[in-house]
Amino acid sequence: MLTDFLQLTVAGLSQGSVYALLAVGLIAVYTVRHVINIAQGEFAMLAGLGSVWLTAAGMPLLLAILVAILSVTLVAIAMDRLIIARVKKLTPLISIILTLGVSTLLQAIMLLAWGPEAKGVPLFPGTNILIGGVSIRSQEFWMIGALVVVGGGIVLFYEKSRWGKALRACAEQPVAARIVGISPVAASVLAFAIAGFVGGVAGVVASPIYLSLWSGGVLLGLKGFVAAVLGGFVSFRAAIVGALLLGMIEAYVAGYVSSGLRDGAAFLILILVLVVRPQGLVLKPTAVRV
Amino acid sequence: MTHATTPAPAGISSRRARFWTDNKSTLIGCGILVALMIVVPFTANSSVMNIVVFAMIFALPAIGLNLLMGLAGQVSLGQAAFFAIGAYTHAILLTKLDLPGPVAATVGVLAAMLVALLVGLPLMRLRGHYLALATLGLGFIVMIGVREWDVTGRTTGIYGISRPTVFGVPIDNSGFFLWFVTPFVVIGLILALNLTRSRAGRALSAVNDSELAAESLGVNTYALRLKVFVLSAGFAGLGGVFYAYQVAIVSPTTAEFHLSVSILLMVVIGGLGSVWGAVAGAFLVQFLGEGMRDVIPAIFPGATGEVQLLGYGIVLILVILLLPGGLHQAATTLWQKLPFAGKRPPVDAHAHAAEDDTTIPLLPAVSTPVAAGEPILVLEGLTKRYGGVVAVNDVSLTVPAGSILGLIGPNGAGKTTCFNMISGALAPTEGTVTFLGQVISGRKPHVAAAHGLTRTFQNLQVFSSTDVVGNVYMGRYRKGSAGVLRGMLGLQSGEQSAHRAAAYEILQSMRLTDAADDSASDLSFGKQRIMEVCRALAAEPALLLLDEPMAGLSSTEREVMAELLRRLRASGLTIVLVEHDVAQVMSLADHVAVLDDGVLIAHGDPESVRNDPAVVVAYLGTDLDEAEAELTELEEHA
Repeated sequence: MLTDFLQLTVAGLSQGSVYALLAVGLIAVYTVRHVINIAQGEFAMLAGLGSVWLTAAGMPLLLAILVAILSVTLVAIAMDRLIIARVKKLTPLISIILTLGVSTLLQAIMLLAWGPEAKGVPLFPGTNILIGGVSIRSQEFWMIGALVVVGGGIVLFYEKSRWGKALRACAEQPVAARIVGISPVAASVLAFAIAGFVGGVAGVVASPIYLSLWSGGVLLGLKGFVAAVLGGFVSFRAAIVGALLLGMIEAYVAGYVSSGLRDGAAFLILILVLVVRPQGLVLKPTAVRV
Repeated sequence: MTHATTPAPAGISSRRARFWTDNKSTLIGCGILVALMIVVPFTANSSVMNIVVFAMIFALPAIGLNLLMGLAGQVSLGQAAFFAIGAYTHAILLTKLDLPGPVAATVGVLAAMLVALLVGLPLMRLRGHYLALATLGLGFIVMIGVREWDVTGRTTGIYGISRPTVFGVPIDNSGFFLWFVTPFVVIGLILALNLTRSRAGRALSAVNDSELAAESLGVNTYALRLKVFVLSAGFAGLGGVFYAYQVAIVSPTTAEFHLSVSILLMVVIGGLGSVWGAVAGAFLVQFLGEGMRDVIPAIFPGATGEVQLLGYGIVLILVILLLPGGLHQAATTLWQKLPFAGKRPPVDAHAHAAEDDTTIPLLPAVSTPVAAGEPILVLEGLTKRYGGVVAVNDVSLTVPAGSILGLIGPNGAGKTTCFNMISGALAPTEGTVTFLGQVISGRKPHVAAAHGLTRTFQNLQVFSSTDVVGNVYMGRYRKGSAGVLRGMLGLQSGEQSAHRAAAYEILQSMRLTDAADDSASDLSFGKQRIMEVCRALAAEPALLLLDEPMAGLSSTEREVMAELLRRLRASGLTIVLVEHDVAQVMSLADHVAVLDDGVLIAHGDPESVRNDPAVVVAYLGTDLDEAEAELTELEEHA
């Protein structure tokens, strides 16, 4: 009984780590640009399928995932410069349509390039361990580890580094930030680079277990969005906590109720949260924090 | 009162003519569409026929989504969910319960609307992107639901749906089916077109220009948006009903996200807010999709599946970047370039008055529910805090009916914050606002408006997508009663033209008739201000809040404005006025209240306030000599 529960918890935490990384990317872009990036999940799928392709072409795994993540980061920057930045008055309506267009385009490109089948990156090196009957796959360590290193790194970056503080300034007071010399272009590029990078990392670490599929990004991105909503779209920490909770709830639903209903849980939570507490898990709803 | 019956103001007859032209274009458009749909089955081959049938089916959800995006300014990424709900309900009722077609179809549409109501009830309160993502989530929930539920046939779906029979004729081929679906599309189209032109439609487009101003005129944004959302789901549900008939099998793919994307693409290509655009978009997207499915595998050998998404993605991005108004914008631009597209006839010059004439030709009507001198507005302990900053501190005031209260004070004294709390734009931290015996503080602006309180804005809130008379016409919103249903049926033209006439009369009183047909955003700053006052007066309020009505006006315009306000007071209107032109305030107001740093430091008749030492120091500066000089100057003015 307890073993089952712990087993599901581990699965939930590892899956939740992926959602958390996507939520970090969504919040990074949203705070600077006020754009909900519907293509966030596609970044993950792109990196996953890209790595599969590169390793199949004979590239060593580590190099392949690095190349894939960096390429996706460039794709994200290109998306900002070539498309998002070209619109002068970015209303929520326009930003949704535009990022949806990018999402659809990326999906189609993946479909044409790599076909309609789901594919997985080879498992990362490591050994599975068994603690008290609970088996933890090494890939799950990689997923949780990716959140700790990359997600934690980005939170630190925002809180400690000069550039991170500049990004926060852009989020809170865009005009003032501009006056003191923070370039909005640089801030926007940096935000999209972060979104592409975390999306890419999430995509490659999840791919060996959860596979990459050309059309899988929307669902994945939406779960990142649910987590970001739990973080009130401003707080990385609250969003990460929310993402881990979401991962666990999904695992319990899949384990105890029905695996088919697993994806439904996320959206019921989304609608519930929007109804009951649209400001998310953040305690001070009016303060803009990152 | 002085609400004189005047001869028809300039432009009314041409307005009527324009009303007919508008309907004429609808009739011609529908005529062409119907004629095409009659001819197509005789001329087109089966694959074109197929595309046309699906275009007509998908035109329905596209029209619905277009109303939601164009009118409510919200986007649904789950239009396919409502489409699927309609299709499944219809299919299940037909195959499992053997209900007659019309009953099953009606229940299918109602089911889609009911789900939209349940989702919209909490979600339409949220702004921005939340509805989009919640409906995207709803799409997945519906898809998972139908895949997991026995009643919906899990992954196989519902099949064995037989074609309908109309007047004994079985609709068993594409041609008949096209003729079966066309009347519904045409009716849907006309209803949607009527709605965009109705009282509700105009109110929603005003909301998209300035939510604050529209709500201050009595528009209940939330309720209207919710209705449009439910309506748009109904259109999607109807599309689903026809889809179930045509395809004869309903599977979970009906709820797929990519279907929602293609419906969204139809609306974007056609142009947001253009009902005809949605229909044209439906045809274009169907042809584009079919073309892509032919072309892509030729270019990329082995490509299978939803390859048309490549085109969808590219077109979505390009339309937004290059032609944000879609086909509608392209068509309008082309039309204006044609040599025979007549420019608007110049306005008659007879309304011109001598520039320095300050007489008021006509006085707008006012409604005064209480006798002059009775308290109409009572503020008690009104306080607004932002964190540690106190913007307004414990202000208590009583405004007697039929008087003008001038609210003055240095910049940042809290005057506009006070106004915002009175009109409902801001909720006070503490204290109450009682208007006509009702506590209205903390409610939305449309509540205050419903009780007879209207305002203007320091930072102008014009409805820039319409003309000047359209702005003033919006002021009549509360005077009208036609709802969404009456609007869709087009049963309100009498009401509309009466309000239009009233709007013209009010423009005449401020001598803005010359500019009546100009786009509101083209007016000078001062004229926009006057227009806002006209708009507020059009609501026939009992209490009018004016936030710096004189700013940006020429001295003649100021005199006209002052004269208008005096005469409105004489006919019973109560006015609260924030103004920097102290001389005007002192000469106009019956009472003057002075705010400094959020505190009410003086309140009384102009004479006593002017001589109040606290006011002299706080308002005119601490330097007493300078203050003396200002005072003398003021007296000279008064």
